[in-house]
Amino acid sequence: MDTDGKKGVSRSKEGQLKLYRKILTEIEKEIQIHPNYADLRNQMGLLLMAVGDFEGAESHFSEALSLNPRYREAALNLGFLRIEMRRDREAEAFFLSELKRHPKDGLLHHALGLLYLQMDRSEEASLRIRKAIGCHPYYRDYYEKKGIWRKGKVQLGERAKKVLQEAHRDYPYAQFHNFVGLYLAKQGRSSQAIQELKWASRLRPDEFLFHSNLGMVYYYHGSYAKAIREYEQALKINPRYGMGYANLSYVYGLMKRTREALRYMEKAVRMNPRYADLHYNLALLYSDRRQYPKAISELKKALRINPNYLFARINLGILYEEEKKWREARREYRKILQVTPDNEDVRRRLERIS
Amino acid sequence: MLREDFFIQSNVRRILVRSHIDYSELTFGTVRGVVYLQGRLKILGAYSHGASIEDEELGARTLRSLELKIRGIPGVVDIKFQLVNWKKEKGQWTPTEKKE
Repeated sequence: MDTDGKKGVSRSKEGQLKLYRKILTEIEKEIQIHPNYADLRNQMGLLLMAVGDFEGAESHFSEALSLNPRYREAALNLGFLRIEMRRDREAEAFFLSELKRHPKDGLLHHALGLLYLQMDRSEEASLRIRKAIGCHPYYRDYYEKKGIWRKGKVQLGERAKKVLQEAHRDYPYAQFHNFVGLYLAKQGRSSQAIQELKWASRLRPDEFLFHSNLGMVYYYHGSYAKAIREYEQALKINPRYGMGYANLSYVYGLMKRTREALRYMEKAVRMNPRYADLHYNLALLYSDRRQYPKAISELKKALRINPNYLFARINLGILYEEEKKWREARREYRKILQVTPDNEDVRRRLERIS
Repeated sequence: MLREDFFIQSNVRRILVRSHIDYSELTFGTVRGVVYLQGRLKILGAYSHGASIEDEELGARTLRSLELKIRGIPGVVDIKFQLVNWKKEKGQWTPTEKKE
């Protein structure tokens, strides 16, 4: 593994490598229990790549793809790994075949551009860079920052080669740091998780999911202002990311800023009308503000999507009581008791209004 | 004064993810300050589904800690667990399922 101190995992100190090896052992155990989980195979591939075992990484990415042939992330990891291993022809064939399926995917053109540059095929590299720019404005900014795109022209020379010689690592290493960050977050190691996720979003600043994950860890860490900033950044990159609005709502909820929480939850529901959980949360917000008819309407929607949504039905019964709709309240309580006959609270409520 | 079920719900969500729990099989709700937790409890890092002594202790410890944290949220008046694989009897958590 490169230890020049500039890129991806290469910055790692021994302590970090030790941490990655420890996670690797945990994932190995998981694979023994669930050998057919493509996600675990992909994660194992990333970890092996990070500790320098490229052949092992290749084998796991390939296994992930054989388990799930449409697993885009594993496919891209494999392609970029082959560039790293200087198996240029295989990498070229791989990315060209992916491009047949996704001709407007800027990342694939970008990958081929990097590969052709590595292979000293400047004209083809230039063409791919132009195509990447045509696919997504992010690449224009990216190449401009690197000094490769100036005044509407691709500038490829020795400097460009030097600047881009390690850029093929950005995608898999960003995926790696994202995975490690989420893994650490699940273990409650927020500070380390934040460092890993920051690393991921530095390598791929255009990936909304990394910002969203970073926002999530800040949220669990209790750094709400930073969480809001990352969620907003994720939504700036991908305004159609409906769950991002729900996440913002939860943060504002913790800050007791219910007006903002309500605004974002309404938007989340508009974008994900089939999520019972979001209707339920919106109902809580309306109910907290004593907007009972609106809360009832949202709970009914949640129950239409998931008729077994117990808490939604309890809330609905209570709101009917608030609205003095005793018959409807009794109906909901009876339905709950059919499913959970030992629910004493609900039984008492039913007895009180019977 | 505003009621605070959404505030409580957001806090429970945050606590669950920080509690070494795989919450994919858990649902939770808040009804006038009463928190409900329903479903199957799975502890991250426990491989034998509560079958070993260590897993039993880990599960019981996790549930005690979870209960304490949720009760500590301002506005929470009670917490109701409706778990398929754990029950609380005489103040003690015990698993209700054994590995085949």
